[in-house]
Amino acid sequence: MSTTPGLEHYLDVEEKDSRRADPRTLRKLIPYIARHRLILMLGLLVMGLGVFATLMEPRIFGWAVDLAIIPKDEEMLKKLGLGYLLVVIIRILSAISQAYCFELLGQRIAQDLRCEIYEHLLRAPVATFDKNPVGRLMTRVTNDITSLGEMFSAGFVSMVGNAILVVGILIWLIVLDLKLGLLSLAVFPVLAAITAHFSGKLKIAYREARSRLSALNAFIAENILGIRVVHLFNRQKLHQERFERINQWYSDAQISTVRVFALFQPAITLASGTAIALIIWYGGGRSHEGVLPIGLLIAYFTYVLTLFQPLREMADKWNIFLSGMASAERIFSILSWLLEPGARMQNPVGNSQKSGAPFRGDIEFEHVWFAYSGEHWVLRDLSLKVQAGERLGIVGHTGGGKTTLISLLLRFYEPQRGRILLDGIDIQEYPLTDLRSKFGVIQQDGYLFSGNLKENIGNDLQDLLKTMGMSIEALGLPEELRERASNISTGQKQVLAFARALAAKPQIWILDEATANMDSATERLLQQGLSTATVNRTVLLVAHRLSTIRSADRIAVLNKGILCEQGNHAELLRMNGLYARLYRYQAAKEAQESHIV
Amino acid sequence: MSQKVENPLIADMYARLIGRPYARFLEESVFIRQYLWINRRLVGVGLVALVIVDILEVLPPLYLKNAVDVAVEKKPPVLLLYFAGAYLLTALVQAICRYGWRMYLIRASMLSGRDLRNRLSRHLFGLGASFFDRSRIGNLMSLTTSDVEAVRMEIGPGVLVLADALFYFLTVPVAMFMLSPKLALIAFLPLPFIPWIVIRNEREINKRYEKVQESVANISAVVQEGLAGVRVIKAFGKEDEQVALLRSKGNELMKFSMHLARVQTSFGPTLDFAMSTGMMVLIFVGGYDLIRGSTGVAGAVTLGTFVAFQRYVQKMVWPMAAIGMALTFYQRAVASSDRLKKVLAERSDILEPNPDSKRPSTKMRGKIEFRNLRFRFPGASSSGAKDALSGISLVIQPGERIAFIGGIGSGKSALLSLLPRLYPVERGMLFIDDIDINDWPIAELRRNVGYVSQDVFLFGETVAENVIFGLHDWAAGQSSRRALEEATALASVHEDVMGLEGAYDTRLGERGVNLSGGQKQRITIARALIMQPAVLVLDDALSAVDVHTEENILSGLRSRANRNTEVISAHRISTVRDADKIVVLEHGQVRQMGSHDELIQNQRGAYRKFYQEQRCKEELEGYAEHIGVPQ
Repeated sequence: MSTTPGLEHYLDVEEKDSRRADPRTLRKLIPYIARHRLILMLGLLVMGLGVFATLMEPRIFGWAVDLAIIPKDEEMLKKLGLGYLLVVIIRILSAISQAYCFELLGQRIAQDLRCEIYEHLLRAPVATFDKNPVGRLMTRVTNDITSLGEMFSAGFVSMVGNAILVVGILIWLIVLDLKLGLLSLAVFPVLAAITAHFSGKLKIAYREARSRLSALNAFIAENILGIRVVHLFNRQKLHQERFERINQWYSDAQISTVRVFALFQPAITLASGTAIALIIWYGGGRSHEGVLPIGLLIAYFTYVLTLFQPLREMADKWNIFLSGMASAERIFSILSWLLEPGARMQNPVGNSQKSGAPFRGDIEFEHVWFAYSGEHWVLRDLSLKVQAGERLGIVGHTGGGKTTLISLLLRFYEPQRGRILLDGIDIQEYPLTDLRSKFGVIQQDGYLFSGNLKENIGNDLQDLLKTMGMSIEALGLPEELRERASNISTGQKQVLAFARALAAKPQIWILDEATANMDSATERLLQQGLSTATVNRTVLLVAHRLSTIRSADRIAVLNKGILCEQGNHAELLRMNGLYARLYRYQAAKEAQESHIV
Repeated sequence: MSQKVENPLIADMYARLIGRPYARFLEESVFIRQYLWINRRLVGVGLVALVIVDILEVLPPLYLKNAVDVAVEKKPPVLLLYFAGAYLLTALVQAICRYGWRMYLIRASMLSGRDLRNRLSRHLFGLGASFFDRSRIGNLMSLTTSDVEAVRMEIGPGVLVLADALFYFLTVPVAMFMLSPKLALIAFLPLPFIPWIVIRNEREINKRYEKVQESVANISAVVQEGLAGVRVIKAFGKEDEQVALLRSKGNELMKFSMHLARVQTSFGPTLDFAMSTGMMVLIFVGGYDLIRGSTGVAGAVTLGTFVAFQRYVQKMVWPMAAIGMALTFYQRAVASSDRLKKVLAERSDILEPNPDSKRPSTKMRGKIEFRNLRFRFPGASSSGAKDALSGISLVIQPGERIAFIGGIGSGKSALLSLLPRLYPVERGMLFIDDIDINDWPIAELRRNVGYVSQDVFLFGETVAENVIFGLHDWAAGQSSRRALEEATALASVHEDVMGLEGAYDTRLGERGVNLSGGQKQRITIARALIMQPAVLVLDDALSAVDVHTEENILSGLRSRANRNTEVISAHRISTVRDADKIVVLEHGQVRQMGSHDELIQNQRGAYRKFYQEQRCKEELEGYAEHIGVPQ
C-alpha cells in the first residue's frame, strides 16, 4: 500500500499500535463475560435451537416431497406442513431472542466496564491528567466501550452463531448421505481458504482506511482550530491542496477495500455455483437411478446454498470483532494503570490513632521536597507547622509553590522527600477520601459541574447562602448550570464554590485566591460567612492581596519553593524582609487608589 | 390547438400526490443527483452489471427445476450435465458482473464522497473568522466526515440496494408467474404486508435510535466534565457520586438500547416469517396440486416447479429487506444533505474588492487611519447588542509605534483584528495608505499586515515550517536560512530553538515537543516578522513572555532595518510605555490618548491608575526575582 510522504505524522499513534491482536486480551475479558453467564447460556441455548430449526427446515421440505407428494399422502402433507410452520416459528423466535440476549450481554458488559474504567480514571493520580489529554481518555470511556459492546452484541453472536451453523450443516450433509455430502464439501476447503485469505486482506485494507481517516480528521481539526492563521498567511489554497492530497490518500484506501470485497463476493458465488453444479450432476444422476430420494436432493440444494450466507457474514463481522478487541486492549491498558496510593484503602487510621479522639486539625510539613518532574524542585526542604485552629496566610509570587503546597496536602501528588502529618499521623496512612473530606478547598477557578444547581451544591443551598447574607434570588442564579458553568459570572462561580465547600462541613479550610474576582461587597459578605464557618478551624489562606491575609495568626512567605519568612503581620514588618516590601508596595497602591477615587 | 381542461380536483390531487412530493424529492436529493450525474459513467456501468446479475438470478432455480424433473421423469441423464454446466456458467457470469458493480458503483460513491469533501473543505477555507466563531468544531468535523459519508452511502449502497430491489421485483415475480400463476399469487400473499412492516419499523427504529444517540451524548458530557474537573472531584471525595452518576446514565443508555433492540432484532425475523408463511402455503397448496394433479404434464405443476418456487420465494426475502435499507440510507442522506447545504450556503463576510475600485499602486507604507469607526461582531444579535467599538478616530503614520491599553472587554482585540480584515469593516471607516481597507485585495493586505494574535496557534509541523509559514516560495538555502534565523533572533526565540534536540527540525504539537507558552508565543512573532510586514500588529502577543525578554524584543523591533508601523496592545505598562502614542480604550471607545509622559501627568486619568497598579506589581515581581535563594 502506497504512502504519501509527509502525511504519516497525522496518523494516530494508537491506531498504529492496535494492529496486533493479543489473545491475552480475550482471557482478561472472561471474568466480565462470566458475570453475565446466565444471559450468555440462555443466548447460546436459544442459538442452538435456532440452528436446529434452520437445519430442519430444508429437511421437512424434502420430506414433504419424499413422504407426502410422491406417495400422494395428503395426511402426511398436512402434518409436514404444520411441522414446517412449527420449525419456522422456532427459528424466528430464536433469532429474535438470541439477538436480544446478546444485545443485553453486550450492553451489560459495556456498562460494567464503562463504570469500572471511569472509576479507575477518577482514582488515578492527578499526574495522569497532566500527561494525557482529556479528549483521549474520554475516547476510552465512550467510543472504545461502545465498540467493545458491539463486539459482543453483533460480532460475537454472528461469529459463534454462524460457526455453529456452518459446522451443523457440514455434519448434517455427511450424515444424510455420505457420498453426496463429501462431494458437496469438496469446495468447502477452497471456500474456507478464500474466506481466510480475503478476510486477512480486508482486515489490512480496513485498518489502513481507518488510520487514513483519522489522519484526515486530525488535519481537519488542526485547520479549523488554526483557520485564522491560515487566512492571515494566505495559505488557503496551499492547505486546500494538502487536504485534497490526504483526501485522495484516504479515498485510495477506501477503494482498495472495495477491490478486496469486489473479489471476495464473486469468489463465493463461484464456489457455491461449483458445489451446486456438482450436486446437479452427481446427485441428480443418483436420483435418476432411484438411489437418492428426490426430496433429499432438493434439501441438499438448499443446504449448500445456505452454507454460504453464514460464511459471508462471518467475514463481514470479523471486522467488528477485531476493532472490539483493539478497544478492549486499550481499555485494559488503562485498567492496568496504577491508582492513587491509598485510593482503595479501607481501614481507617484507627489502628494508630486513639479511637474516638476528635480530629483537631494540626498540620505539619517535615522537610518536604517536591518536583513535578526531574530535579526542578518546586518545594525545597520545606518545614512548616500549623496548630489546630490557627489561621495561616501563605504569600509569595506566582510559581513560589503556594498551590503546590496545597496539592501535596490533598495528596494530589506525593512529595519526593519528607512527609506531611495531620494530627501527628502521616497523611499516607489516611484513606484518601477520608483525608480529603477533612478539607474544604476553594480555588480561584472553582470548577462547577453542569446540571441542577441544588444537586450540584446541596439541597440546602438557600440556607447556606443565607448564612452569608445572600440568597439565590439576590444573586440571580439560574436553576440549571450549563457546561463549564458558562451561564454565570466568575463572581457567581466563586460564591457557589464557596457554598459547595461550606456544605461539606470541612475541618480544615483552604482558600486559594478564593476571592480574586469578586466585587468588594460580595467579598465582604463572604468573609463574614467564612469567619463564622471557620471558628476553631484550621485555615490556610493563599492570596496575592495582603489585606486579606493581614489578619491571619501567622503568615508564611514562600519564595522559589523555600519558606523564607514566617510570623504574624507585625513581626514580619519588623523583620523588614520580603513581606515588608510586599506590604509597603500594596499599601502605597491602595492609598493611591483611595486618593484617586 | 386543444385547450387542456383543468379539473381543479384532479389538479389538487396531482399536486398533493405527485407534484409536491416530487418537488420535495428534487430539493432533498440535490447532492445525490449532482454526484450521480458527475460519475454517470461509473454509475451506468455499475447499474448495467447489476441488471445482468439480477436477470441471471432468475435462471438457477430453473436449472434446479429441470434437474429435478429430469430425475423424476427419467429423462436422459446427460441433460443433468448440461444443467450443471449452465449453472456453473451462470455463476461465472454473475461473479464477473458482481465484481463489476462493486468496482463501478461503489467506487463512484467513494469518488463522490472525496469530491464532496474537497468541495466542503474549499468552502470552509473561504469563510471568514466570524463563521468559525459561531460554529462548534465538533459540528464542522462531523460535517466533513459523517455527513459526507451519509451522502456517499446513499450514492453507493443506497442506489445499489434500491436498484437491486427494483430489478428483483421486475424479474423474479415475472418468472414465477410464467411458471405457475396460481402458485405465484399464493406465494405473494404476504407481500402487501411487507412494505407496511418495513415502513412502520423504520419509523419506530429511527425514533428509538434518536433516544439512544441522546443518551450516548449525555454519557459523553458526564465523562468530559468529570475528567476535566477531576481535581474538584478528588478534593471533595466525590468519586463514588460521579461513578454513580455515570452508572445511572449508562443504565439509561442500556434501557434505550434494549428498547431499540426490541424493534430492531424483530425486524429481520418478522420479514423472514412473512416470507416463510408464503413458503408454507406453497407446501400445502403446491403439495395438494401435485398429489391430486398429474405430475409431468406440460403446463401443470411439476415437482421441479415446486422446487424452483421454493428457491424464488427465498430469494424474495432480500428485496423486501432491501427496500427498508434503501429508505434508511435515503433518510440519513437527506438529513445530512440538509446540514451540508446550510454550510455550503454560507457566504464569507470578507469579500474581495471590486475589480474597478481604486487599487493600491505601490507597496504598503503603513499609514493607518480610523475615521469614526464603529464595529459590531457579525452574528451578534442585531437588537440590543452593543457595539464592540464606536467613534474611533485616529491616524497612525508610517513607522510609528502605537499601543492600545485597556481592561478585558475594552475592545483592543476587536480593533486590532480589523487591521488584517478578519472581520468586516464598513466602508469609509478604516484606511490603509489612504485606501479604504475594503479596496485592498485580501491576500495583499494580509501579506503586508503581520498580525500576531493573543491565542497562540502552531501547526503540528517542524519549528522551521511554522516560522516560514507565510512564505509560499520558500526554498531551502543559505540566504533563506539566514532570514529564518534573523526572524527568530528578533523574536528572541532562536536560542530556545537551538536548545531543542532537533533544533529547527523539531516537530511540534501533540506528537512532538511541547514548548512553553512563552516559546510558542515568540515563534508566532517570528512567523509574522519573517514576512517583513509593513504593519506589525501584536495583540497582547507578549503576555507569556517575561519582562526582560519582552524588553529585548521591543527594542530589537525598534532598531531593525526598514522598520515599519507597529500596533501593539497589552495589559502590561512595560509593553506600551515606549510607544510613540498610547491609546486607552474603555467600552470600545477612546478614553485617553498621548505619550506615556503626557498620560502620566493626568492625575485622574485611567492610564495613571493603571500605571500605578502595574508598577506595584512589577516591582514586586522584580523584587521577588532578585531575592537570593538560600540553599
